[in-house]
Amino acid sequence: MTTLVGTGRLMRFVVRRDRLRLVVWVVGMATVVAVSAQSLDRVYATRQAVESYVRLFGDNPALVAFAGPGYGFDDPSIGVILVNETQLWGMVAMALMSVFLVIRHTRAEEDSERAELLRSAVVGRHAPTAAAVVVIAVAEMIVGLLAAVSFVAIGYPVVGSLALAASYSAVGLVFVGVTAVVAQLVGSARAALGLASLVLVVAFVVRAVGDIGHNALVWASPIGWAQAVRAYADERWWVLALCAVVAVGLVASAFALASRRDVGAGLVPPRAGSASAPARLSGPVGLVVRLERATVAAWVLGMALMGLVYGSIADDVESMLVDNPQLADYFARLEGADITDVYFATTARMLALVVGGLAVAATLAAHREERSGRVEALLAAAVDRRRWLGAHLGVAAFACVLAVLAGGAGAGLSAALVLDEPSRVGQQVVAALATLPAVFVVLGVAALGVGVAPRMAGAAWGVLAFVAVVGFLGEALDLPHWLIDVSPFERLPAVPAESFGGAAPAVLSAVAVALVLMSLWGVRRRDVGVH
Amino acid sequence: MVRGVTPAIRCAGLTKRFGAATALDGLDLDVFPGEIHGFLGPNGAGKTVTMRILLGLLQCDGGEVTVLGCDPWSDAVALHRRMAYVPGDTNLWPNLTGGEIIDLLGDLRGGLDPARRAHLVQRFELDLRIKARAYSKGNRQKVALVAAMASDAELLVLDEPTSGLDPIMEAIFREHVLEARAAGRAVLLSSHVLAEVEQVCDRVTIIRHGRTVESGSLDDLRHLTRTTIDVRVRRPATDLAHLDGVHDFREHDGHLVFEVDGERLEAVVAHLAPLGVQSLTSQPPTLEALFLRHYRDQLDEST
Repeated sequence: MTTLVGTGRLMRFVVRRDRLRLVVWVVGMATVVAVSAQSLDRVYATRQAVESYVRLFGDNPALVAFAGPGYGFDDPSIGVILVNETQLWGMVAMALMSVFLVIRHTRAEEDSERAELLRSAVVGRHAPTAAAVVVIAVAEMIVGLLAAVSFVAIGYPVVGSLALAASYSAVGLVFVGVTAVVAQLVGSARAALGLASLVLVVAFVVRAVGDIGHNALVWASPIGWAQAVRAYADERWWVLALCAVVAVGLVASAFALASRRDVGAGLVPPRAGSASAPARLSGPVGLVVRLERATVAAWVLGMALMGLVYGSIADDVESMLVDNPQLADYFARLEGADITDVYFATTARMLALVVGGLAVAATLAAHREERSGRVEALLAAAVDRRRWLGAHLGVAAFACVLAVLAGGAGAGLSAALVLDEPSRVGQQVVAALATLPAVFVVLGVAALGVGVAPRMAGAAWGVLAFVAVVGFLGEALDLPHWLIDVSPFERLPAVPAESFGGAAPAVLSAVAVALVLMSLWGVRRRDVGVH
Repeated sequence: MVRGVTPAIRCAGLTKRFGAATALDGLDLDVFPGEIHGFLGPNGAGKTVTMRILLGLLQCDGGEVTVLGCDPWSDAVALHRRMAYVPGDTNLWPNLTGGEIIDLLGDLRGGLDPARRAHLVQRFELDLRIKARAYSKGNRQKVALVAAMASDAELLVLDEPTSGLDPIMEAIFREHVLEARAAGRAVLLSSHVLAEVEQVCDRVTIIRHGRTVESGSLDDLRHLTRTTIDVRVRRPATDLAHLDGVHDFREHDGHLVFEVDGERLEAVVAHLAPLGVQSLTSQPPTLEALFLRHYRDQLDEST
């Protein structure tokens, strides 16, 4: 096993490099699930509350798509609610943790040429990947362990708690393997991030379709396997072994692929490009478009797919209305609006939260250009800094509009087909566009960091994490209202259940414009460069 | 140095701090049109920081700086149409080809001369169709050089432009820098290749700890440093070692070898003449000796 020489030493190196990052991920994840478990335990303290939860949410396909199959709803317990509320998103977060960290320690290192420095030492070919995989896998298991301990401490049954916590780690481990393989296939960290994220989206969607149809499709997705552990409801432990075997198999394939390629290259060979710049590659905007177009296209496609999935269950929302008049009453009382409209308003808001990720990523592209030193070449030419940053912000804003439109059009289109109501297309596009002020506030926050305090630019991801937690888990976590109201997404009118208007969109737009102006003002006044 | 023209670069008492660290501490620098100006100093002396201030990427904390008669911070964009820059560590967009990057940067600078672009690409033997991520360090450097030198800039700011180039490419680079000077452009050239500086530069500025320690033409500077003399004389010359300005006196095989301060050279030669000189070789100080003298002082200080 000479190809693994140095793995132990490199493991310590990975831990040292990311000692803060790993702790933030592990403690952050464990805290979010523990706090959720605590608040659910408080809210559903009585048998009656548990049963009404299950009655309300049990058969709703929209919730099945975004919560899970609802194992154990026939004999409900508080544990089943915990699974329904936290398992799916916990697993997605664990998968993302694997994707980000594994790419950071494998493909990104090769991009930076630091890998060469390491590999020129007495270090086996597979040692850097092996070290990253082991450390990150251990981190995933620690999250599971902390989650299990906190569930048991709060008072959830021991066996189910172990199963639920293990399902988080299991998905994390599978995606450690998925990312290790993806990092061998493509030639850059960005491409690897895109491909790994695509695998995650597909795994999520495939499982959602399987869960709604109660069919075998769930077995095509690692998320489906981990859900099938049936925590708190007659546990099936062998599915965890399946996850572990697949994870190990993927890592082994990654090693096999790595032996077949050169350091720094992907398995797909590069092609010769153009010897001169085409007309569209001119000016700062042309450059940013060229740099970002692949990422934006992937986002737009992903949003369209997510929209199609959300919209395709619209008739189930409808039929549930017929089946369950009590639920219809509930929604009617809650919002005073049509249940399908409420569902679509929620859909638009959820899709907008996802587009928030694009807003941050596309805006921070400017920061990446600066940190890499490439911006010096641009600013040493006759390019005003505001024009440079403005190009990035403009492209980011345009990309957000496209992504929001794609999500809205996708949801509207599939809803129009299943409901046979063509007007849903236009309605859902309007609902999607109505979320843009909140998306632009997130973009503005990221821009402010880039323009004024580049060292703090990464904090925009923290802001996005906050609005996502509030948006997806706000009620489950029982957060105070003033805190929920901080998120711009919670201020949006619920189009199409409500009409677009009121002060909120105007105020949010004004905040976004102010943030962008401040960032353009700031970038003119600070030092540019690596310092 | 007094000339009747506006300097292309003029820095006086330039200071720049990064938090507690002082990068520039009263730096002076003058570069004139039609001049290739060597910019020397040990690593971390502040050369790149100075160049970034000249480009308006960093704002100085104190002192005066003008580039082509303008303020590099507030007039950055207008200025950059008239100057070109080659960074020391060239980081290019990995998914763009060399040709695309040259055209993009030329376009952003306000256009480049297509004939000169083609000529430079041919001379530097650069394959334009390769994506930047696949270029070697030397080829990345060539992309930056072609982009800068194909422009009509009045001022070239070159930060270690030949790092990573092979000797043949270095020679081609020197040729083109001299061409630029002949066309009346000003060139600020930072380099650790002292032979290159000696060959092409009209004047040099040596900085240390963010401060100018020496500036002038190579002849001026040579005058300030020591010449090595190797002489054979008929009569004993024991008192030579004690003469003012003579250093490192040693004797072997009947040769007397010593170093003389530039300003004492005349007096020492006058002293030698009556001793019956049989042979004499003198070695003028190299730029390397000059540079190392300042560098050594620094080493002595730190120990």
